[in-house]
Amino acid sequence: MRADAPDRRDARAPSRWPPGFADGRANRRALLVLMSLPGLSPRVLLALARRESDAAACLAAVRRGRAGSERDRQLARSLQSESIEISVSETGAEFVPVGSPRYPPQLEHLSDPPAGLFMIGRPAPSLAEAVAVVGARRCSQAGRDLARSIGRDLGWAGACVVSGAARGIDTAAHEGALEAGGHTLAVLGCGIDRAQPSSTRSLLGRIASRGTVVSEYPPGVPPMPFRFPARNRLIAGLSRALVVVEGAEGSGSMISADHALDLGREVFAVPGAVSNPLAHVPNALIREGATLVRGGEDLVHDLGLHELGFPDAERAHRRPPALDVSERERAVLERLTGPLLPETVARELGLTLREIVPLLMALEMKGLVRSVGGRVEPRLPA
Amino acid sequence: MYGTVIGVTLLGVHGRPVVVEAHIGRGLPSLTITGLPGASVQDGRDRIRPAVESSGLEWPLRRIVVNLSPGNVRKEGPGLDLPIAICVLCASAQVPRDRASRLAFVGELSLRGSLVPTPGVLSAAIAASRSGLRGVVVPEANAAEAALVEGLEVVGVPTLAEAVAYLRGSPKPRPVAPPPPQPQQEPEVDFAEVRGQAQARRALEVAAAGGHNVLMVGSPGAGKTMLARRLATILPALSRAEALEVTQLHSIAGLLGSAGLRSARPFRSPHHSISLAGLLGGGGSYLRPGEVSLAHHGVLFLDELTEFHRDAVEGLRQPLEDGRVVITRAAGSVEFPARFTLVAAANPCPCGYEGDPRRQCRCLPHRVQAYRHKLSGPLLDRIDIRLVVPRLSKAELLGEAAGEPSARIRERVQEARERQRRRYGPTGFPCNAQLPGPLARREARISAGARDVLARAVDSLALTGRGFDRAIKVARTIADLDGADQIAPEHVAEALSYRMSLSEESLIRAG
Repeated sequence: MRADAPDRRDARAPSRWPPGFADGRANRRALLVLMSLPGLSPRVLLALARRESDAAACLAAVRRGRAGSERDRQLARSLQSESIEISVSETGAEFVPVGSPRYPPQLEHLSDPPAGLFMIGRPAPSLAEAVAVVGARRCSQAGRDLARSIGRDLGWAGACVVSGAARGIDTAAHEGALEAGGHTLAVLGCGIDRAQPSSTRSLLGRIASRGTVVSEYPPGVPPMPFRFPARNRLIAGLSRALVVVEGAEGSGSMISADHALDLGREVFAVPGAVSNPLAHVPNALIREGATLVRGGEDLVHDLGLHELGFPDAERAHRRPPALDVSERERAVLERLTGPLLPETVARELGLTLREIVPLLMALEMKGLVRSVGGRVEPRLPA
Repeated sequence: MYGTVIGVTLLGVHGRPVVVEAHIGRGLPSLTITGLPGASVQDGRDRIRPAVESSGLEWPLRRIVVNLSPGNVRKEGPGLDLPIAICVLCASAQVPRDRASRLAFVGELSLRGSLVPTPGVLSAAIAASRSGLRGVVVPEANAAEAALVEGLEVVGVPTLAEAVAYLRGSPKPRPVAPPPPQPQQEPEVDFAEVRGQAQARRALEVAAAGGHNVLMVGSPGAGKTMLARRLATILPALSRAEALEVTQLHSIAGLLGSAGLRSARPFRSPHHSISLAGLLGGGGSYLRPGEVSLAHHGVLFLDELTEFHRDAVEGLRQPLEDGRVVITRAAGSVEFPARFTLVAAANPCPCGYEGDPRRQCRCLPHRVQAYRHKLSGPLLDRIDIRLVVPRLSKAELLGEAAGEPSARIRERVQEARERQRRRYGPTGFPCNAQLPGPLARREARISAGARDVLARAVDSLALTGRGFDRAIKVARTIADLDGADQIAPEHVAEALSYRMSLSEESLIRAG
């Protein structure tokens, strides 16, 4: 599923928008109104722009009733671009219309690129730096740990972790990148001021101060499930590669992977046991040709990030110090293939439950094993 | 026209002799009861005359005043029907006074004059014996429990007429000997039937050995109820004094039937809709022991802990702390013993499948958090052993042999308890779980290696102060099961595996 290497491809594709579409103050203001109309999707707006040449002309067409729905027409007449500008600046965001130097050029690969973005924080990363990490919101503890470590490895390698700031895998990936002091970018499916719940708001605060928060919706747009697939297309569009960590059947991770494939981005997936419902999407993707990765190290290697000038010596000091693991503990670790009952591990090693419990506890105290739901599973070294 | 006999009223679990006097005087036919009769005694007023008349005896058609003394104690319970009837018959010279004077009478009458099974007869018999009476006249159905009191003559009679006949000099209807010590009844359930769940089985053995309370968290169908039911079968056998207490409480609650001594440990599992009064005791005028007291010396199992009313769960704190319940009313307070092992069970999340590798949890994170919040709180502090009970797959079940029979586990438990009794003898604490934290730390005898494990756990497992104390107590119990004088590192390691955090993240072990 590796498409022809995307970094060789020209990141700055010819713009789909007419030249000068959003140039000048009048056009920018008209575009703000156009982007606030719920009936005017990026695809419809793009078609209109091709007909009308610039944003002010598009707005006039909508106001005259030559495009958009009746509701859009009424809204377009009543909306004041000044009040939108004020609400944008109140959130601390910057409006980045297409054609602006801050507009990420890789989004032009999309068939329906947004006409503008609302951004907080650092400029968006270039295509070569950005790697998307996505997965289930209701994920396992192991998935959360893995996403965090991938985020950390990418951060250390100098890549920017792109994700959707949702609970679960998304949050863990962002956190990992922040821990490594790396750049991370969150794409929201709602207005930049409307993120829920409070734990996500605090995460976004940290991302905004060290990375980038992006939305194609003006402030005040509430988070609704139908906007998440649209957000997923931006995640895929911004990144050179996409990694799926966990995803149950029918989850949004599959949509993100489809977008990535349409755009010719590389798709990676972390496999899981076939009996694990959360491994459904990654396993299905691997079967279709996605590259299997076992963690951040594989990813860094496959993406050639280690060649970007981050010496191995630097990575070496990040490795956790070798833990003092006894021979019997090592034998337990080797048997621990997935979540297993302690008595099962004991039987496989020919030990009693009374003998295995202290070994497991010692491993747990060294952070190598964790007990979840009455079973024990291996844990990535933190 | 005056007569007097002895009856017994109940104050909590204890009987209290009551002097019943009757005076028959001139006036319109009536029956007045004075001396703080409770509603259940007043209620008997209209029952007694028909019962006397149905028995072929004569009810004096004059003004009758019955007085219950001492006058400052509220009298409760239907057991005063019989002494009032006998007293009226004494006063009207239908029963010779001398034979009635050294007996206590307990029993509820029916309109036909028969004596129906009456709650609290054992407590009444104990009170009669303590106050030096020769014997007690009780309903035939309750004779077996009354006969448990040594050195007390028990006259079990089916009707008022037979009671009167006995007092008039006919021989005892049927001599009641103390029932032969019942052979230890084989409990209906046994640990041998449990397949798999080795960890939970072991944890319950530890709980039984140290008297620790248990919380089991697991998906529906994991076997939490099945395991809890079997905890009662591995607790040490009841001593005679304990069995008497249990029998007394069950008698007061009217649950004894015609059985004698309750020798099996009680297992009570009230439904989660239970009221505060149902759980702790109380009720209308006649104070009934609650489920906590019916579980005295046994197991109280609260399935679906989160579904219980908040005030009911909060109300468990006093019995868990003191081993008794005090119910205070305007008229005074009443105490019931309530020293039980608490076993609480709950799902890991509202849908029940959080942490299950084969089924996805469908709960929103904030719902899980709210649910976990309900589980934690002050009650959790009193629970030393917290277990995750996994739902086993077919393969996991098939690999497991059937478990050890309860009787074998009970032997080990009994030895461990014996060891604790010897150690704590002078302090009066019966088992490790009931030891206060500082004393537990002093008495635990922790080896240097075990101390090292504990110290590391504080850092690497984020063990809290309370979690530390709990781990020591449980480790002490595990060492007692091993017959070890000192707590070894592996005892601490096992104790540390019986903890669980109820964080929103996932159902993982933590301090």
